[in-house]
Amino acid sequence: MGDFASFHPAVSFVYYVLVLAVSMFTLHPVPVVISMAGAFLYFALTHRIRVTVSDAVFYILLFILLSLTNPLFVHNGETILFFMNGNPITLEVFLYGMAMAGMLIGVMYWCKCYQIVMTSDKFLYLFGRAVPRLSLVLSMALRFIPLFKKHAGEVRRVQKTMGMYAGTGITDRLLFSLRVFDSVAGWSLENAIDTADSMRARGYGLKGRSNFSVFPFEKKDLLMLAVLAAAAAAVLGGYFAGVFDFSYYPAADQVAFGSGLIVQTVILSALMLLPAVLEIKEKIKWNYLKSGI
Amino acid sequence: MKKDILILGAVILLVILLAAGTDIQSVDEYYLTHIDDITEDSETVTLSINCSTVLDNWDRLPESLQDEAYVPSDGWIMKKTEYVLRPGDTAFDILNRAVRHQKIQMEYQGADANVYNSVYIQGIHYLYEYSCGPLSGWMYRVNGEFPDCGCDAYQLKDGDRIEFIYTCDLGRDIGGEMRKEE
Repeated sequence: MGDFASFHPAVSFVYYVLVLAVSMFTLHPVPVVISMAGAFLYFALTHRIRVTVSDAVFYILLFILLSLTNPLFVHNGETILFFMNGNPITLEVFLYGMAMAGMLIGVMYWCKCYQIVMTSDKFLYLFGRAVPRLSLVLSMALRFIPLFKKHAGEVRRVQKTMGMYAGTGITDRLLFSLRVFDSVAGWSLENAIDTADSMRARGYGLKGRSNFSVFPFEKKDLLMLAVLAAAAAAVLGGYFAGVFDFSYYPAADQVAFGSGLIVQTVILSALMLLPAVLEIKEKIKWNYLKSGI
Repeated sequence: MKKDILILGAVILLVILLAAGTDIQSVDEYYLTHIDDITEDSETVTLSINCSTVLDNWDRLPESLQDEAYVPSDGWIMKKTEYVLRPGDTAFDILNRAVRHQKIQMEYQGADANVYNSVYIQGIHYLYEYSCGPLSGWMYRVNGEFPDCGCDAYQLKDGDRIEFIYTCDLGRDIGGEMRKEE
Protein backbone atom coordinates (compact mmCIF):
# COMPACT_ATOMS: atom_id res chain seq x y z
CA MET A 1 0.00 0.00 0.00
CA GLY A 2 1.16 3.44 -0.87
CA ASP A 3 1.83 6.64 0.96
CA PHE A 4 -1.78 7.75 1.19
CA ALA A 5 -2.82 4.65 3.13
CA SER A 6 -0.09 5.25 5.70
CA PHE A 7 -1.91 8.14 7.34
CA HIS A 8 -3.74 7.73 10.62
CA PRO A 9 -7.26 6.25 10.12
CA ALA A 10 -8.85 9.45 11.47
CA VAL A 11 -7.08 11.48 8.78
CA SER A 12 -8.09 9.08 6.01
CA PHE A 13 -11.66 9.05 7.25
CA VAL A 14 -11.89 12.84 7.38
CA TYR A 15 -10.43 12.97 3.88
CA TYR A 16 -13.07 10.63 2.47
CA VAL A 17 -15.94 12.37 4.22
CA LEU A 18 -14.73 15.69 2.84
CA VAL A 19 -14.23 14.45 -0.70
CA LEU A 20 -17.56 12.61 -0.82
CA ALA A 21 -19.41 15.60 0.58
CA VAL A 22 -17.88 17.92 -2.00
CA SER A 23 -18.60 15.48 -4.84
CA MET A 24 -22.17 14.84 -3.78
CA PHE A 25 -23.43 18.33 -3.15
CA THR A 26 -22.70 20.00 -6.45
CA LEU A 27 -23.55 19.39 -10.08
CA HIS A 28 -21.25 22.10 -11.37
CA PRO A 29 -19.28 20.50 -14.23
CA VAL A 30 -15.85 21.57 -12.95
CA PRO A 31 -15.97 19.84 -9.53
CA VAL A 32 -17.67 16.83 -11.12
CA VAL A 33 -14.86 16.38 -13.63
CA ILE A 34 -12.12 16.94 -11.04
CA SER A 35 -13.73 14.48 -8.64
CA MET A 36 -14.06 11.81 -11.33
CA ALA A 37 -10.49 12.33 -12.48
CA GLY A 38 -9.02 12.19 -8.98
CA ALA A 39 -10.85 9.03 -7.98
CA PHE A 40 -10.19 7.29 -11.29
CA LEU A 41 -6.47 8.12 -11.25
CA TYR A 42 -6.02 6.80 -7.73
CA PHE A 43 -7.96 3.66 -8.60
CA ALA A 44 -5.88 3.12 -11.76
CA LEU A 45 -2.62 3.60 -9.87
CA THR A 46 -3.53 1.06 -7.21
CA HIS A 47 -4.87 -1.64 -9.54
CA ARG A 48 -3.54 -3.68 -12.42
CA ILE A 49 -4.23 -2.31 -15.88
CA ARG A 50 -6.52 -5.21 -16.82
CA VAL A 51 -8.75 -4.61 -13.79
CA THR A 52 -8.78 -0.86 -14.41
CA VAL A 53 -9.82 -1.23 -18.04
CA SER A 54 -12.54 -3.82 -17.50
CA ASP A 55 -13.87 -1.67 -14.66
CA ALA A 56 -13.76 1.48 -16.78
CA VAL A 57 -15.75 -0.22 -19.55
CA PHE A 58 -18.51 -1.03 -17.08
CA TYR A 59 -18.61 2.52 -15.74
CA ILE A 60 -18.60 4.05 -19.23
CA LEU A 61 -21.65 1.92 -20.09
CA LEU A 62 -23.26 2.99 -16.83
CA PHE A 63 -22.49 6.63 -17.67
CA ILE A 64 -24.21 6.30 -21.04
CA LEU A 65 -27.21 4.53 -19.51
CA LEU A 66 -27.61 7.15 -16.76
CA SER A 67 -27.33 10.10 -19.11
CA LEU A 68 -29.86 8.57 -21.50
CA THR A 69 -32.37 7.90 -18.72
CA ASN A 70 -32.87 11.55 -17.79
CA PRO A 71 -34.42 12.60 -21.15
CA LEU A 72 -37.07 9.92 -20.72
CA PHE A 73 -38.48 11.64 -17.66
CA VAL A 74 -37.63 15.33 -17.95
CA HIS A 75 -38.57 17.59 -20.84
CA ASN A 76 -37.53 21.00 -19.58
CA GLY A 77 -35.02 23.11 -21.48
CA GLU A 78 -34.78 25.63 -24.28
CA THR A 79 -32.72 23.89 -26.96
CA ILE A 80 -35.01 21.26 -28.43
CA LEU A 81 -33.20 18.56 -30.42
CA PHE A 82 -36.22 16.54 -31.50
CA PHE A 83 -39.60 15.32 -30.29
CA MET A 84 -40.17 11.79 -29.09
CA ASN A 85 -43.77 10.64 -28.71
CA GLY A 86 -44.85 14.28 -28.56
CA ASN A 87 -42.37 15.20 -25.82
CA PRO A 88 -39.39 17.44 -26.42
CA ILE A 89 -35.91 15.98 -25.96
CA THR A 90 -33.64 18.89 -25.14
CA LEU A 91 -29.92 19.50 -24.96
CA GLU A 92 -30.16 20.76 -21.37
CA VAL A 93 -31.66 17.48 -20.21
CA PHE A 94 -28.74 15.59 -21.71
CA LEU A 95 -26.26 17.94 -20.06
CA TYR A 96 -27.97 17.52 -16.71
CA GLY A 97 -28.03 13.75 -17.17
CA MET A 98 -24.33 13.74 -17.95
CA ALA A 99 -23.49 15.87 -14.90
CA MET A 100 -25.64 13.61 -12.73
CA ALA A 101 -24.02 10.46 -14.14
CA GLY A 102 -20.54 11.96 -13.71
CA MET A 103 -21.30 12.88 -10.12
CA LEU A 104 -22.64 9.40 -9.35
CA ILE A 105 -19.74 7.60 -10.97
CA GLY A 106 -17.24 9.89 -9.24
CA VAL A 107 -18.82 9.03 -5.89
CA MET A 108 -18.81 5.32 -6.78
CA TYR A 109 -15.12 5.47 -7.66
CA TRP A 110 -14.36 7.26 -4.40
CA CYS A 111 -16.16 4.48 -2.55
CA LYS A 112 -14.05 1.91 -4.39
CA CYS A 113 -10.94 3.83 -3.37
CA TYR A 114 -12.26 4.01 0.19
CA GLN A 115 -12.07 0.20 0.25
CA ILE A 116 -8.36 0.30 -0.50
CA VAL A 117 -7.41 2.72 2.24
CA MET A 118 -10.00 2.34 4.99
CA THR A 119 -9.74 -1.36 5.73
CA SER A 120 -12.18 -2.74 8.29
CA ASP A 121 -9.55 -2.88 11.05
CA LYS A 122 -8.97 0.85 10.61
CA PHE A 123 -12.68 1.55 10.74
CA LEU A 124 -13.11 -0.56 13.87
CA TYR A 125 -10.05 1.09 15.43
CA LEU A 126 -11.72 4.47 14.94
CA PHE A 127 -15.29 3.70 16.00
CA GLY A 128 -15.15 0.29 17.69
CA ARG A 129 -14.99 1.76 21.15
CA ALA A 130 -17.44 4.61 20.80
CA VAL A 131 -20.22 2.90 18.83
CA PRO A 132 -19.37 -0.83 18.70
CA ARG A 133 -22.59 -2.14 17.16
CA LEU A 134 -22.99 0.50 14.51
CA SER A 135 -19.36 0.38 13.48
CA LEU A 136 -19.43 -3.41 13.14
CA VAL A 137 -22.57 -3.27 11.02
CA LEU A 138 -21.11 -0.46 8.93
CA SER A 139 -17.79 -2.16 8.37
CA MET A 140 -19.58 -5.37 7.40
CA ALA A 141 -21.87 -3.48 5.04
CA LEU A 142 -18.95 -1.69 3.42
CA ARG A 143 -17.13 -4.98 2.98
CA PHE A 144 -20.21 -6.75 1.68
CA ILE A 145 -19.76 -6.37 -2.07
CA PRO A 146 -16.00 -7.10 -2.27
CA LEU A 147 -16.51 -10.16 -0.09
CA PHE A 148 -19.49 -11.22 -2.18
CA LYS A 149 -17.45 -10.95 -5.37
CA LYS A 150 -14.58 -12.89 -3.86
CA HIS A 151 -16.76 -15.71 -2.61
CA ALA A 152 -18.68 -15.85 -5.91
CA GLY A 153 -15.35 -16.33 -7.68
CA GLU A 154 -14.49 -19.19 -5.34
CA VAL A 155 -17.83 -20.93 -5.86
CA ARG A 156 -17.50 -20.50 -9.59
CA ARG A 157 -14.04 -22.04 -9.66
CA VAL A 158 -15.07 -24.97 -7.49
CA GLN A 159 -18.07 -25.71 -9.71
CA LYS A 160 -15.90 -25.51 -12.82
CA THR A 161 -13.33 -27.85 -11.29
CA MET A 162 -16.08 -30.32 -10.51
CA GLY A 163 -16.93 -30.30 -14.20
CA MET A 164 -20.35 -28.70 -13.87
CA TYR A 165 -21.79 -26.13 -16.26
CA ALA A 166 -19.42 -26.94 -19.09
CA GLY A 167 -21.78 -25.36 -21.65
CA THR A 168 -20.28 -22.61 -23.77
CA GLY A 169 -23.39 -20.69 -24.88
CA ILE A 170 -24.29 -17.33 -23.39
CA THR A 171 -27.54 -18.70 -21.99
CA ASP A 172 -25.72 -21.52 -20.22
CA ARG A 173 -23.23 -19.12 -18.73
CA LEU A 174 -26.03 -16.83 -17.60
CA LEU A 175 -27.85 -19.69 -15.92
CA PHE A 176 -24.59 -20.75 -14.29
CA SER A 177 -24.03 -17.24 -12.93
CA LEU A 178 -27.58 -17.20 -11.62
CA ARG A 179 -26.98 -20.46 -9.71
CA VAL A 180 -23.75 -19.08 -8.25
CA PHE A 181 -25.48 -15.84 -7.27
CA ASP A 182 -28.26 -17.78 -5.59
CA SER A 183 -25.86 -19.82 -3.50
CA VAL A 184 -23.64 -16.87 -2.57
CA ALA A 185 -26.64 -14.76 -1.52
CA GLY A 186 -27.61 -17.42 0.99
CA TRP A 187 -24.03 -17.81 2.15
CA SER A 188 -23.59 -14.06 2.71
CA LEU A 189 -26.56 -13.90 5.09
CA GLU A 190 -25.19 -16.82 7.07
CA ASN A 191 -21.73 -15.32 7.02
CA ALA A 192 -23.02 -12.06 8.51
CA ILE A 193 -24.48 -13.95 11.49
CA ASP A 194 -21.29 -15.98 11.84
CA THR A 195 -19.18 -12.84 11.88
CA ALA A 196 -21.37 -11.20 14.50
CA ASP A 197 -21.25 -14.31 16.71
CA SER A 198 -17.53 -14.67 16.32
CA MET A 199 -16.96 -11.02 17.21
CA ARG A 200 -19.05 -11.45 20.34
CA ALA A 201 -17.10 -14.59 21.28
CA ARG A 202 -13.93 -12.53 21.13
CA GLY A 203 -15.34 -9.98 23.55
CA TYR A 204 -15.87 -7.27 20.98
CA GLY A 205 -17.38 -4.15 22.50
CA LEU A 206 -16.41 -5.05 26.06
CA LYS A 207 -14.46 -2.67 28.26
CA GLY A 208 -10.68 -2.79 28.15
CA ARG A 209 -10.51 -4.59 24.83
CA SER A 210 -7.49 -3.59 22.77
CA ASN A 211 -7.27 -3.34 19.00
CA PHE A 212 -5.71 -5.68 16.50
CA SER A 213 -3.82 -2.86 14.81
CA VAL A 214 -2.47 0.17 16.58
CA PHE A 215 -2.06 3.39 14.66
CA PRO A 216 0.12 6.08 16.20
CA PHE A 217 -0.89 9.65 15.51
CA GLU A 218 2.21 11.28 14.07
CA LYS A 219 3.29 14.78 13.18
CA LYS A 220 2.50 14.30 9.49
CA ASP A 221 -1.07 13.31 10.42
CA LEU A 222 -1.51 16.55 12.31
CA LEU A 223 -0.10 18.49 9.37
CA MET A 224 -2.42 16.68 6.97
CA LEU A 225 -5.42 17.30 9.21
CA ALA A 226 -4.60 21.01 9.26
CA VAL A 227 -4.34 21.07 5.45
CA LEU A 228 -7.68 19.25 5.14
CA ALA A 229 -9.33 21.67 7.56
CA ALA A 230 -8.06 24.62 5.54
CA ALA A 231 -9.23 23.07 2.28
CA ALA A 232 -12.64 22.28 3.79
CA ALA A 233 -13.04 25.85 4.99
CA ALA A 234 -12.08 27.23 1.58
CA VAL A 235 -14.41 24.92 -0.35
CA LEU A 236 -17.27 25.53 2.07
CA GLY A 237 -16.72 29.27 1.67
CA GLY A 238 -16.89 28.89 -2.09
CA TYR A 239 -20.00 26.75 -1.81
CA PHE A 240 -21.89 29.34 0.20
CA ALA A 241 -20.60 32.17 -1.95
CA GLY A 242 -22.37 30.46 -4.84
CA VAL A 243 -19.28 29.57 -6.85
CA PHE A 244 -20.59 26.04 -7.41
CA ASP A 245 -24.09 27.16 -8.37
CA PHE A 246 -24.93 25.96 -11.83
CA SER A 247 -28.39 25.80 -13.30
CA TYR A 248 -29.26 23.57 -16.22
CA TYR A 249 -32.88 24.65 -16.78
CA PRO A 250 -34.29 26.31 -18.75
CA ALA A 251 -30.95 27.17 -20.39
CA ALA A 252 -27.65 25.75 -19.17
CA ASP A 253 -25.22 28.27 -17.69
CA GLN A 254 -21.85 28.87 -19.25
CA VAL A 255 -18.85 27.78 -17.20
CA ALA A 256 -17.48 31.22 -16.36
CA PHE A 257 -13.92 31.03 -15.11
CA GLY A 258 -13.99 34.02 -12.78
CA SER A 259 -11.45 34.46 -10.02
CA GLY A 260 -13.61 32.57 -7.52
CA LEU A 261 -13.94 29.52 -9.73
CA ILE A 262 -10.23 29.49 -10.60
CA VAL A 263 -9.25 29.53 -6.92
CA GLN A 264 -11.77 26.77 -6.17
CA THR A 265 -10.55 24.72 -9.12
CA VAL A 266 -6.99 24.88 -7.83
CA ILE A 267 -8.03 23.94 -4.28
CA LEU A 268 -10.29 21.13 -5.44
CA SER A 269 -7.66 19.74 -7.82
CA ALA A 270 -5.10 19.74 -5.01
CA LEU A 271 -7.57 18.00 -2.70
CA MET A 272 -8.90 15.41 -5.13
CA LEU A 273 -5.63 14.57 -6.84
CA LEU A 274 -3.76 14.22 -3.54
CA PRO A 275 -4.01 10.40 -3.26
CA ALA A 276 -2.92 9.94 -6.86
CA VAL A 277 0.00 12.33 -6.48
CA LEU A 278 1.18 10.62 -3.28
CA GLU A 279 0.89 7.27 -5.03
CA ILE A 280 2.97 8.48 -7.99
CA LYS A 281 5.56 9.91 -5.62
CA GLU A 282 5.80 6.54 -3.88
CA LYS A 283 6.14 4.71 -7.20
CA ILE A 284 8.97 6.99 -8.32
CA LYS A 285 10.72 6.51 -4.98
CA TRP A 286 10.34 2.75 -5.22
CA ASN A 287 11.71 2.61 -8.77
CA TYR A 288 14.60 4.86 -7.76
CA LEU A 289 15.52 2.65 -4.80
CA LYS A 290 15.15 -0.47 -6.94
CA SER A 291 17.51 0.93 -9.56
CA GLY A 292 20.17 1.35 -6.87
CA ILE A 293 20.27 -2.35 -6.01
CA MET B 1 -26.32 -22.73 -29.24
CA LYS B 2 -30.02 -23.14 -29.98
CA LYS B 3 -30.88 -21.39 -26.73
CA ASP B 4 -28.59 -18.49 -27.62
CA ILE B 5 -30.33 -17.94 -30.93
CA LEU B 6 -33.69 -18.04 -29.19
CA ILE B 7 -32.62 -15.40 -26.65
CA LEU B 8 -31.09 -13.25 -29.39
CA GLY B 9 -34.37 -13.44 -31.31
CA ALA B 10 -36.32 -12.35 -28.23
CA VAL B 11 -33.99 -9.39 -27.66
CA ILE B 12 -34.25 -8.28 -31.29
CA LEU B 13 -38.04 -8.55 -31.12
CA LEU B 14 -38.07 -6.39 -27.98
CA VAL B 15 -35.90 -3.74 -29.65
CA ILE B 16 -38.14 -3.70 -32.72
CA LEU B 17 -41.23 -3.34 -30.53
CA LEU B 18 -39.63 -0.44 -28.64
CA ALA B 19 -38.55 1.24 -31.86
CA ALA B 20 -42.02 0.82 -33.35
CA GLY B 21 -43.56 2.42 -30.26
CA THR B 22 -41.44 5.54 -30.39
CA ASP B 23 -42.34 8.27 -32.75
CA ILE B 24 -39.54 10.71 -33.49
CA GLN B 25 -40.38 14.09 -34.97
CA SER B 26 -38.17 17.00 -35.87
CA VAL B 27 -38.89 20.38 -34.30
CA ASP B 28 -40.48 21.77 -37.46
CA GLU B 29 -42.70 18.72 -37.90
CA TYR B 30 -43.94 18.99 -34.35
CA TYR B 31 -44.87 22.65 -34.55
CA LEU B 32 -46.60 22.18 -37.90
CA THR B 33 -50.14 22.25 -36.53
CA HIS B 34 -53.21 22.98 -38.50
CA ILE B 35 -55.22 25.85 -37.15
CA ASP B 36 -58.70 26.22 -38.57
CA ASP B 37 -59.60 29.57 -40.02
CA ILE B 38 -62.30 31.39 -38.15
CA THR B 39 -65.38 31.75 -40.33
CA GLU B 40 -68.71 33.32 -39.52
CA ASP B 41 -70.47 30.13 -38.51
CA SER B 42 -67.57 28.38 -36.71
CA GLU B 43 -67.75 27.86 -32.97
CA THR B 44 -64.89 29.52 -31.13
CA VAL B 45 -63.39 29.76 -27.65
CA THR B 46 -60.74 32.09 -26.28
CA LEU B 47 -57.58 31.12 -24.46
CA SER B 48 -55.09 33.13 -22.43
CA ILE B 49 -52.05 32.20 -20.35
CA ASN B 50 -51.05 34.46 -17.50
CA CYS B 51 -48.35 34.32 -14.83
CA SER B 52 -48.60 37.77 -13.23
CA THR B 53 -48.63 36.29 -9.70
CA VAL B 54 -44.96 35.49 -10.20
CA LEU B 55 -44.21 39.20 -10.44
CA ASP B 56 -45.37 39.64 -6.83
CA ASN B 57 -43.17 36.76 -5.65
CA TRP B 58 -40.14 37.58 -7.75
CA ASP B 59 -37.52 36.68 -5.12
CA ARG B 60 -38.90 33.16 -4.74
CA LEU B 61 -38.10 32.42 -8.36
CA PRO B 62 -34.75 30.68 -9.03
CA GLU B 63 -32.16 33.05 -10.44
CA SER B 64 -32.06 31.23 -13.76
CA LEU B 65 -35.73 32.11 -14.37
CA GLN B 66 -35.52 35.76 -13.28
CA ASP B 67 -35.50 37.03 -16.81
CA GLU B 68 -37.84 38.97 -19.04
CA ALA B 69 -37.53 36.13 -21.56
CA TYR B 70 -39.19 33.64 -19.19
CA VAL B 71 -41.55 35.86 -17.22
CA PRO B 72 -42.90 38.74 -19.32
CA SER B 73 -43.04 42.02 -17.41
CA ASP B 74 -46.83 42.28 -17.85
CA GLY B 75 -47.37 38.63 -16.89
CA TRP B 76 -49.00 37.61 -20.20
CA ILE B 77 -47.40 34.54 -21.75
CA MET B 78 -50.21 34.47 -24.27
CA LYS B 79 -52.79 37.20 -24.57
CA LYS B 80 -56.45 36.34 -25.14
CA THR B 81 -56.63 34.58 -28.50
CA GLU B 82 -59.58 33.10 -30.33
CA TYR B 83 -59.44 29.50 -31.50
CA VAL B 84 -61.88 27.40 -33.45
CA LEU B 85 -63.64 24.78 -31.35
CA ARG B 86 -63.61 21.34 -32.94
CA PRO B 87 -66.31 18.90 -31.88
CA GLY B 88 -65.37 17.12 -28.62
CA ASP B 89 -62.57 19.51 -27.75
CA THR B 90 -61.53 19.73 -24.11
CA ALA B 91 -59.66 22.56 -22.40
CA PHE B 92 -56.47 20.56 -22.76
CA ASP B 93 -56.91 20.08 -26.52
CA ILE B 94 -57.21 23.82 -27.03
CA LEU B 95 -54.16 24.51 -24.85
CA ASN B 96 -52.12 21.86 -26.64
CA ARG B 97 -53.08 23.21 -30.06
CA ALA B 98 -52.40 26.79 -29.02
CA VAL B 99 -48.94 26.18 -27.53
CA ARG B 100 -47.91 24.25 -30.61
CA HIS B 101 -49.23 27.01 -32.82
CA GLN B 102 -47.43 29.72 -30.86
CA LYS B 103 -44.34 27.58 -30.18
CA ILE B 104 -44.63 27.94 -26.43
CA GLN B 105 -42.88 25.27 -24.38
CA MET B 106 -45.27 23.07 -22.39
CA GLU B 107 -44.82 19.87 -20.43
CA TYR B 108 -47.64 17.75 -19.10
CA GLN B 109 -48.16 14.47 -17.35
CA GLY B 110 -50.35 12.20 -19.43
CA ALA B 111 -53.64 10.85 -18.10
CA ASP B 112 -52.09 7.36 -17.88
CA ALA B 113 -49.23 8.57 -15.67
CA ASN B 114 -51.05 9.70 -12.52
CA VAL B 115 -53.69 8.54 -10.07
CA TYR B 116 -56.25 11.16 -11.16
CA ASN B 117 -56.56 9.71 -14.67
CA SER B 118 -56.41 13.18 -16.08
CA VAL B 119 -53.78 15.32 -17.71
CA TYR B 120 -51.70 17.45 -15.37
CA ILE B 121 -49.93 20.56 -16.69
CA GLN B 122 -46.45 20.54 -15.15
CA GLY B 123 -45.04 23.60 -16.79
CA ILE B 124 -45.70 26.21 -19.43
CA HIS B 125 -43.02 28.46 -20.90
CA TYR B 126 -40.29 26.98 -18.59
CA LEU B 127 -42.37 27.98 -15.58
CA TYR B 128 -42.94 24.71 -13.73
CA GLU B 129 -44.84 23.56 -10.68
CA TYR B 130 -42.83 24.54 -7.58
CA SER B 131 -40.79 27.03 -9.63
CA CYS B 132 -42.02 29.88 -7.47
CA GLY B 133 -42.28 28.44 -3.98
CA PRO B 134 -43.72 25.15 -2.69
CA LEU B 135 -47.35 26.13 -3.36
CA SER B 136 -46.94 27.20 -6.96
CA GLY B 137 -48.24 25.64 -10.15
CA TRP B 138 -50.67 25.99 -13.03
CA MET B 139 -54.45 26.21 -12.69
CA TYR B 140 -57.18 26.85 -15.21
CA ARG B 141 -60.39 28.77 -15.20
CA VAL B 142 -63.32 28.62 -17.60
CA ASN B 143 -65.64 31.63 -17.76
CA GLY B 144 -64.19 32.85 -14.46
CA GLU B 145 -64.72 29.63 -12.50
CA PHE B 146 -62.29 26.93 -11.49
CA PRO B 147 -63.68 23.55 -12.65
CA ASP B 148 -63.36 20.56 -10.31
CA CYS B 149 -61.83 18.29 -12.92
CA GLY B 150 -58.66 17.90 -14.94
CA CYS B 151 -58.36 20.06 -18.03
CA ASP B 152 -58.69 17.07 -20.38
CA ALA B 153 -62.05 16.17 -18.82
CA TYR B 154 -63.65 19.58 -19.31
CA GLN B 155 -65.81 19.65 -22.44
CA LEU B 156 -65.91 23.11 -23.97
CA LYS B 157 -68.82 24.81 -25.62
CA ASP B 158 -69.11 27.74 -27.97
CA GLY B 159 -67.88 31.05 -26.58
CA ASP B 160 -66.06 29.66 -23.53
CA ARG B 161 -63.30 31.79 -22.05
CA ILE B 162 -60.37 29.63 -20.90
CA GLU B 163 -57.57 31.07 -18.78
CA PHE B 164 -54.49 29.22 -17.62
CA ILE B 165 -53.11 31.05 -14.59
CA TYR B 166 -50.01 30.51 -12.53
CA THR B 167 -50.53 30.48 -8.77
CA CYS B 168 -47.87 30.98 -6.11
CA ASP B 169 -50.15 30.15 -3.18
CA LEU B 170 -52.22 27.06 -4.02
CA GLY B 171 -54.83 29.13 -5.83
CA ARG B 172 -55.53 31.55 -2.99
CA ASP B 173 -53.85 34.45 -4.77
CA ILE B 174 -56.01 34.01 -7.86
CA GLY B 175 -59.30 33.32 -6.10
CA GLY B 176 -59.33 29.58 -6.67
CA GLU B 177 -58.89 28.20 -3.17
CA MET B 178 -59.92 24.64 -2.42
CA ARG B 179 -63.46 24.42 -1.20
CA LYS B 180 -63.67 23.22 2.38
CA GLU B 181 -65.25 19.79 2.79
CA GLU B 182 -68.33 20.07 4.95
